[in-house]
Amino acid sequence: MGQSVEIDTKEAWGGGQSPFRVSYGKMMMWFFLISDALTFGGLLTAYGFARHKYADQWPKAEDVFTHFPFVEQHLPLAYVGLMTFILIMSSVTMVLAVEAGHRMDKRGVTVWMFWTIIGGATFVGSQAWEWYHFIHGTDVGSLRDVFDRETGTYVRQVVHGANMTVNEYGNYDVPQFANFFFFITGFHGTHVFSGVVINFIIFMNVLKGTYEKRGHYEMVEKVGLYWHFVDLVWVFVFTFFYLL
Amino acid sequence: MEFHDNYPEYEKMSNHDEAYGKKARRTLWNVFWIMLVITIVELIIGFMAPSKGWSGTLGLKVLFIGLTIVKAAAIVLWFMHLGHEVKFFKYVVLLPYAIFMLYTIFIVLTEGTYSGEKEHYTQTRQIPLEDQLAHKKAHGGGHHGGGESHGESSHEGDAHH
Repeated sequence: MGQSVEIDTKEAWGGGQSPFRVSYGKMMMWFFLISDALTFGGLLTAYGFARHKYADQWPKAEDVFTHFPFVEQHLPLAYVGLMTFILIMSSVTMVLAVEAGHRMDKRGVTVWMFWTIIGGATFVGSQAWEWYHFIHGTDVGSLRDVFDRETGTYVRQVVHGANMTVNEYGNYDVPQFANFFFFITGFHGTHVFSGVVINFIIFMNVLKGTYEKRGHYEMVEKVGLYWHFVDLVWVFVFTFFYLL
Repeated sequence: MEFHDNYPEYEKMSNHDEAYGKKARRTLWNVFWIMLVITIVELIIGFMAPSKGWSGTLGLKVLFIGLTIVKAAAIVLWFMHLGHEVKFFKYVVLLPYAIFMLYTIFIVLTEGTYSGEKEHYTQTRQIPLEDQLAHKKAHGGGHHGGGESHGESSHEGDAHH
């Protein structure tokens, strides 16, 4: 952990040293994460823009996300709180796997990576469950003017759930609410899914002893960076979609 | 020519012994507990906000965004280990991102103001709130009464009916 070797200045100017004192792979992972973070930053800024524009009409998150599995009660934000806990927890198990890797502790890496994969898969499943309820909607629904392509007019009708053109949430018609929800949580969910797949591949390599032979577990550290990034994005998505 | 023979093995430099690992693990768990407490506090405040009339206030927004940035910093500095990297690398990662994002937010805040003119840019059709509430009342009162408690006060000046 940061035990960087002191480099003689004269030697350093001779080349063959990294001014960052990190390996090429780790540096490039960071550069990839910067670009990915810019994408998410742009998306969330656009979301903030749309939300500001429809500030009065925007649905309240605590009225929309009220379901909890196996419980019939009205529990606003409880499930997304649990999802957040699962993702933070899997971030901790990931960092513990990285730490075990620094000690060349194969058993430690195996155990903590296993729990990271379980946590990630649980999160993706939770998101699928939440999407299902978001799309399915309530029995009561809401009145909306829906565009009818055949007649070219708007028809007032009861809408249940959400799609890309209309949703039942809130007392006013704000399709952007569902659009941004689908796009940003979907984009994040895709990242979580790919993270689980990558973690699984690295987990198999750990089991095979690839990194034991290599003499370092930096691959675990690199996928760890990606996994923490996914958690980092969720922290912002959680705030902007559910809390504010 | 002999370039790679002398190249330091940065991959192995972060390896450490058991004593150091024990200290590192304690730090990581402390960071986790802080993040968990922040998240729980956020949820409790978010849960209380509607009944206390805090929803949508500037203070609440600033508080939530502030707590989010604290959590983000904890993830980046300890979990992603950026706090222990060389200073040069820290700035190379953080500064370009900070500059781009501050610029984006600046542009939205300054150039986005005209989007307030709803008449010209809103293309959605608004159903009168009375009709909406009457529908919910007739069919079981929305989802657990959540729909009625908000809305009527927040939108008296609706231009679309």
